[in-house]
Amino acid sequence: MRLRNFMVVLFFCTGCAFTVAQQITFSARTDRSSIAVGEYVKLTVSLSNARENFAPPSFGGLVVVQGPFDNSSLININGRISGTVSRTWVLTATAPGKYVIGSAKVRVGGGSIATDPITIEVTKATTRPSDPYATRGQSRDPNLFITIASNKNKAYVGEQVVVTYTLYSRYANLETSNYDMPQLDGFWADNVDIGDPKWEDQLKQVNGLQYRVAEIKRQVLIPQRAGQLRIAPFAMQCIVNRTLFNRGAVFDVKSNAVEINVASLPPNPPPSFKGAVGELSMVVKVDRTTVQANEAIEVAVTYSGRGNLKLLDAPALNFPNDFETYDPKVTDRITVNASGMSGSRSYEYLVIPRHEGEYPLEPISFSYFDPRTGAYRTIQGEPLTIVVSPSDGGPTAAVQRPSKSDVELLGSDIRYIRTGDLLLRERDSHLFGSAPWIAGMAAPVLGFVLFVGWRKRRDAAARDIAGTRRRKADSLARKRLDEAAAALKGSDRATFYNTLSKALNGYLADKFGLGPAELTRESILSRFAGNEGGGELAAAYERLMQECEMARFAPVEERPREQLYDDAVALIARTEQLMRA
Amino acid sequence: MKTYTLVLATLLSFTSAYAMDRLQADSLIAQAGRTYAAGDHAKALQLFDSVHTRFYSPALLYNIGNCHFKLNDIPNAILFYERAYKLAPGDVDVRANLDLARQQVVDRVSELPKFTLGSTWAGLRGGNDPDQWARRALWCTLLTFLILALATLATKRSMRRALYAASGLGVLMTLVALGFAAYRHKELTDDSAAIIMTAKVDVRSEPRAASTNLFVLHKGTKVTVLDEEDGWCEVELANGSVGWAPPSSLVRI
Repeated sequence: MRLRNFMVVLFFCTGCAFTVAQQITFSARTDRSSIAVGEYVKLTVSLSNARENFAPPSFGGLVVVQGPFDNSSLININGRISGTVSRTWVLTATAPGKYVIGSAKVRVGGGSIATDPITIEVTKATTRPSDPYATRGQSRDPNLFITIASNKNKAYVGEQVVVTYTLYSRYANLETSNYDMPQLDGFWADNVDIGDPKWEDQLKQVNGLQYRVAEIKRQVLIPQRAGQLRIAPFAMQCIVNRTLFNRGAVFDVKSNAVEINVASLPPNPPPSFKGAVGELSMVVKVDRTTVQANEAIEVAVTYSGRGNLKLLDAPALNFPNDFETYDPKVTDRITVNASGMSGSRSYEYLVIPRHEGEYPLEPISFSYFDPRTGAYRTIQGEPLTIVVSPSDGGPTAAVQRPSKSDVELLGSDIRYIRTGDLLLRERDSHLFGSAPWIAGMAAPVLGFVLFVGWRKRRDAAARDIAGTRRRKADSLARKRLDEAAAALKGSDRATFYNTLSKALNGYLADKFGLGPAELTRESILSRFAGNEGGGELAAAYERLMQECEMARFAPVEERPREQLYDDAVALIARTEQLMRA
Repeated sequence: MKTYTLVLATLLSFTSAYAMDRLQADSLIAQAGRTYAAGDHAKALQLFDSVHTRFYSPALLYNIGNCHFKLNDIPNAILFYERAYKLAPGDVDVRANLDLARQQVVDRVSELPKFTLGSTWAGLRGGNDPDQWARRALWCTLLTFLILALATLATKRSMRRALYAASGLGVLMTLVALGFAAYRHKELTDDSAAIIMTAKVDVRSEPRAASTNLFVLHKGTKVTVLDEEDGWCEVELANGSVGWAPPSSLVRI
């Protein structure tokens, strides 16, 4: 194009002579007087019939998108040659408003010519405005800025937020040097692997301006506490247009800060909630449920979905005590990409039942918070039963003993109350020292003393034989008299007299301690002698005894038997009376 | 019938001055046990207390202590545990709870381990009750004199000797039983030990409010009362410190 213009000029210069000088004009014009944000306006400043350099006008806030482009033309009309030099810019505005393009000035000959200022009305963009972060960055410096963009402004504790750090540049030659990562207070951060930062192939247009864009960094942030959390600005030093001969210009570029409103989780989480937030699912897999003792079982608990998978804790599995358990093997298949953290994390437990039996395992329950619905969800695993059959390894199978550990004291509390019989006793009633107790203690002593006294008296009496005979004389005599009475009734004459005589003799012998041979009239008399009326009694005895003797040996009866019997009874009674007196 | 007893028991618990027989006491205790298990410790305490107006036993005192502990009334819990422990020094449950309750006490007074008959003779069944020993003394006396009476009746010389020896042993046993009964009776009637009941009490050098403040005791601490005069108690700590405190601040065990 330029070459052709130049050829044309050359042709005219060589072929024709400059004949007439034309009138000099200097003007500025735009192709349109009002644009929307992001649209372009073409500014052309033309100088006719003069070849002077002119200074560009001030653009009054408009941004140069392209240009300047120079253009010159020679026109030959009927031998009159006019030449025009023009310079064109493509301008745009990043914000609505009224912009004034200032005057362009040129010095020609002795004076100077100025163009008229042009007013451009910029209205709001009719199309959707581009990235607000970029728009704000652009307002700080339209040529070079950094933005921090987060995919959400509101999040729950534990909900992941993806943050992108992007460098926008309109410079062709840009070097970046040391940069500071912003402070992330209250976040757990994980970097998304985006490789080395490099310019994207496509230019990005922000409000009409084309930028080269490079993603510096991308992070997944997980808020750890509620409140207004702030991502501090990201600062970077850039050197622009450094060449071998030019040191370039150094810019300290600072990005915007991002504030994220973090809401705390709703109250009363389910008991199995341990901080999982996202859209998750759980699968429990047991490789077999029927094993022999001492064989290993693998229990795998897999959490998958999108959420804070890397922050999940191992599930609390309560295996029976007879199971030997090992720490779980954790396998992560978690990818962190532009949409956040997703994938799966599985915990594989190796358990070895040591004894046979049927072991029901508690179902595993897993709770997470779903930020989409703003509610807790609980996944209940299925109950499992593991059947362990006896090991057939025989005696050679090595039995591994579990390592012993102390019983852990989890808490302390008082022991429980006593129930059942409390062995109550009445208050203020004591046995020791009470009157019944003293009486009880004294009673055996007293009893013993009485017993010993009675024994002594009995022994003394046993030693006095004559006395005993005397005391028993009466009762013995009565017994014999009773026999005699029986004989009397039976009219047994011989027995009657026999027993009566025995009763009388025996009584006297016992009473006075006499042997059978001593029972004579004299001896009886002498015994009775000491007592008043004794002689009379002795005589009565003698007569009665004689009568009995007579009757025993001869069939003679002086008196009826009844009278004899009554006499004997009366006599003994009288004797007793006498002896006692 | 059961409900009737229950209603009666409840009524009685409110009018505890009413005479109570053992049957009613047992039903009250069963009800208190259920209340305690349900977690209503205040009501359980009220029921146990109503039984305690008339009856006592180490187990009952222990239960009352438990109620106080659960109601966070540590000084009263310690008081009742101490009373239960006095009656049954070998009881491991009382000991354990007393130790736990003492951990809540602010004052740490190094206490020397004390020899008690109970802990040594805990193996003897019922060896801590003076009445039990009194009953044993009674039986021993009776047996001794029965053997003595038999000895006087024995005809064989060797037999008589053996019986006399046995009765001698009986006399010895009686004396031992009497000794234990007297010892435990003395121990139980000794009410010199006391528990501080108020949150804080200033112990002074003289029985006078204006005298020097020697040290400060807090609720639940065990002291020994040495003397009492003019509305002041002379108390001694386990570490030997002595001072005067108002009697309203403590309750004797």
